[in-house]
Amino acid sequence: MSCAPHPAWRRATRPVLAAVALLAIAGLAAAASPAAGRNAATGDAAPGAARGKSQPIPWTTTPIEHLVVLMQENHSFDNYFGTYPGADGIPDGACMPIDPAAGNAGTCVRPFHLGDNEVLMDDPSHSTTTARAQYNDGKLDSFISALNQRNQDGRLAMGHYDDTELSFYWNLADQYVLYDRFFSSAMGGSFTNHLYWVAGIPDASAGQPINTYLDGRKTIFDLLQARGVSWKFYVQNYDPTLTYRTVLQHPGNRASQVIWVPLLNIDRFLDDPSLGGHIVDLQQYYRDLADGALPAVAFIAPSGPSEHPPSNVRSGERFVKTLLQSLMQSAAWPSSAFLLTYDDWGGWYDHVAPPQVDAYGYGFRVPALLVSPYARRGAVDHTTLDFTSILRFIEDNWSLPSLSSRDASANSIVGGFDFAAAPRSAVVVPFSRVDASVPKAPVRGIIFLSYGAGLLLSAWLFFLAARGSRKRREARARP
Amino acid sequence: MGSGLIAETAGRLQSRLSARVGAETLLHTLALALILVVGAAVRLWGLTAVGFNSDEAVYAGQAAAMAHVPVLQDLFPVFRAHPLLFQFVLAMLYTWHFGDAVGRGAAVAVGLITVLLSYATGRTLFGRKAGLFAALILALMPYHVVVSRQVLLDGPMTMFATLALYAMALFGTSRNARWLIAGAAAVGLTFLAKEIGFITIGAVYAFLALSPKLPLRLRDVAGFTVTLVAVMLPYPLSVTLAGGHGGGTTRSYLVWQLFRRANHTPEFYLQVVPAAIGWAVLAAAILGLVLLRRERSWRDTLLLCWILVPLLFFQLWPTKGFQYLLPIAPAVAILAGRMLARWPRRLSRGRRLHLSPTALGTALALLVSGSLVPGTLAGIRPAASDLFLAGSGGVPGGREVGEWIADHAPIGATYMTIGPSMANIVQYYGHRHALGLSVSPNPLHRNPSYAPIVNPDYQIRIGELQYVVWDAFSASRSSFFSDKLLGYARKYHGRAVHTESVTVPAADGAKVTKPVIVVYEVHP
Repeated sequence: MSCAPHPAWRRATRPVLAAVALLAIAGLAAAASPAAGRNAATGDAAPGAARGKSQPIPWTTTPIEHLVVLMQENHSFDNYFGTYPGADGIPDGACMPIDPAAGNAGTCVRPFHLGDNEVLMDDPSHSTTTARAQYNDGKLDSFISALNQRNQDGRLAMGHYDDTELSFYWNLADQYVLYDRFFSSAMGGSFTNHLYWVAGIPDASAGQPINTYLDGRKTIFDLLQARGVSWKFYVQNYDPTLTYRTVLQHPGNRASQVIWVPLLNIDRFLDDPSLGGHIVDLQQYYRDLADGALPAVAFIAPSGPSEHPPSNVRSGERFVKTLLQSLMQSAAWPSSAFLLTYDDWGGWYDHVAPPQVDAYGYGFRVPALLVSPYARRGAVDHTTLDFTSILRFIEDNWSLPSLSSRDASANSIVGGFDFAAAPRSAVVVPFSRVDASVPKAPVRGIIFLSYGAGLLLSAWLFFLAARGSRKRREARARP
Repeated sequence: MGSGLIAETAGRLQSRLSARVGAETLLHTLALALILVVGAAVRLWGLTAVGFNSDEAVYAGQAAAMAHVPVLQDLFPVFRAHPLLFQFVLAMLYTWHFGDAVGRGAAVAVGLITVLLSYATGRTLFGRKAGLFAALILALMPYHVVVSRQVLLDGPMTMFATLALYAMALFGTSRNARWLIAGAAAVGLTFLAKEIGFITIGAVYAFLALSPKLPLRLRDVAGFTVTLVAVMLPYPLSVTLAGGHGGGTTRSYLVWQLFRRANHTPEFYLQVVPAAIGWAVLAAAILGLVLLRRERSWRDTLLLCWILVPLLFFQLWPTKGFQYLLPIAPAVAILAGRMLARWPRRLSRGRRLHLSPTALGTALALLVSGSLVPGTLAGIRPAASDLFLAGSGGVPGGREVGEWIADHAPIGATYMTIGPSMANIVQYYGHRHALGLSVSPNPLHRNPSYAPIVNPDYQIRIGELQYVVWDAFSASRSSFFSDKLLGYARKYHGRAVHTESVTVPAADGAKVTKPVIVVYEVHP
């Protein structure tokens, strides 16, 4: 009995086999195609495909699949990192005249470490008027006088922190990227800079209702939504009832939610649940990390620990440490980037004259730190950036159009990354400047010498005893 | 002619005797080699199947710190509690290759040297057969096998104590005072292996005091004492001169050990040690003392001092540990070996036996050592239990959970465990800082080697503690701290990120999988 298939069966199956073969070839070709399932920039497997997630993230042009941006409050670069080694910090001999009109003849105040003298902590004025006055057409000689004019102790502007208070941030800078030419987008205060942060535009409402001004103006979240890229705006202690419509009923600091979350001034984000549902309490951030549901783009607005003067900067550092550590502990970390920045200079001295790219800014430099497995190690990046540089990165990374001329012409924060290097493991950055948990090593040579000597002495004594016994035996054996 | 015949006969006899002696020597050598092979086999079988326990992790960690192993030198201070002789040897090995097998392999080598020393001592005191039987018993004794498979200080301490015993035996037989001095050096090394080895000094002095027939001059005692101090000196010297973190801890630890609360009941040793030594071995040793009482000499005194002084000391000392009595094991084995080698000969005097004394002794020795095999096999089999006795072996799942931590948790993360034991394992394998919740903030009530978590709530809230590790072994010892730890996990959104399980027999005999170690991620 022959085992060969019947010719009729062979004829019947031939087309099926041919079809299967064609499909297989097509599949192989697709798999071999440079674009298929690969990241265009790095050649890495496309995240959605590789991880088998139910909602694949659209391809990114870099390995960064999650960008988390935290906007803290009111510090200039020199105020935080003016004495950081290797950064463009406070120049030697800097001394701010109390009366700029008096020039060199008058007295001046040198930058000082906050708390080291009698100058009391306050919330320096940081309005557009103050900013313009301090800028003084680029002369940067009125940081004190501008505050004095506001009935504040203007000397405070010259105060700065160092690693005594900012141990955690300085540790972050040591290990990741510190941008030292990161300017606030507008020569002004919180709201206008926050608008640049989300939409690349200033607050040019000029008296018209803010919702009217913003109606029809796109934010980065509109672009992400349209492209199908996941996003969330996490708000610490979020009160969904507190919007531009109700802000007058919430006097005091709570009203800052409406400033720090500009989306709460835009009707569509308040009325359309498909948009407004993305604005959530910060607790959701931790849940999302635990559930592996961190969106591609996450903006975070703080509440209490915003570091807004005169509050304690250490509480802000703790807050950032918690946010960062949670990210590092999550599955999202290997493809994430965390950017920490500050919405404006807060009235503090900064020695770099901000380039004036249009009528609104740039404003003074603000601190900015990039933390990511792909961040360059301990680098100080000197690229000129502003808040729209974040938008530029998002647009480039997720292939989105520009929002405005500002983000279209801005440099991206991408210079802080090194995608050619292997991603770095997550590291819990110590809060203290010196890691106290690392034991001080003893002089090992003394240990090795003393114990070695003990062993050698013992071996020698045994040798002597054995030799003595052998000699005795030999003596006894002699006739 | 007549004298020629006598000379010829004498020559023939001598050559036969030499041939017989040569054959016996060869046989004994082969037997000893076989014993060592068996001893090595039971010590090496599945040696690294289970990871280090807490003490092993500490000693290996110290050695790694001495050898500049990068991931561990910041987690394990060189100075902790004990002297560093074994760690010093391990450190030199680690400069060649670092790993569990190296550490445990060194412990096995130490164990086999102890078997050899038991043979040498038994032979010196009671002849070759006694030495062989003693070596066979020690090679298979569960107590010695289990401990000498671990990176513990008790193995080396026992080896040096046996070396001291050997030197004292040579001193007794040769009456050469140089062996007394060598014995002092060995006692000093016993102390350098583990500070409680100083109890051997008591055994030596008791032996010398109870053996008036041994020639002992004052200058010999002085020489013994000076040598002893000289060899012991590296311990205080290195702690004082080397500086660095931990020197103060070592001093505090000694004080704490002296005054700490009892960790076991007075019956502890009675409950665990006889079975670990082997009931048949104990019976043989005791029977030997009774049946061979007419042969009693300084030899028995030496062995009894070597057994009774530590036994008495550790029974009275509140701190008890499974492995603390290991130095008595070789002496017990020699006493048992003596009984098995000599009693059959004594029995055969004036009687007609079916077996020769040698054959009877060998059969009895095989029977006694055979009775040890089940206990030894149980001791070396990877434990499938959610309970753990310190010093009895590795901790199931400990290495695996540590390796998971090393691979998955951020570098620099801090862990909270129920007690310091699991903390040591997490530090060793996970390369992350770990703190035991049960470590008392009151310095009077804690081992100075460990740092307490003064306020776990605060530490978690400020992000200084990111993970919590629960383990069944510590939980079985302290349900209070187990509950408290799980309370923190619940309170701070604890999410189990990793679980290690073992398969254990249930009450009905069926096999069930039980989680033994769970890692929780916590957030403020």
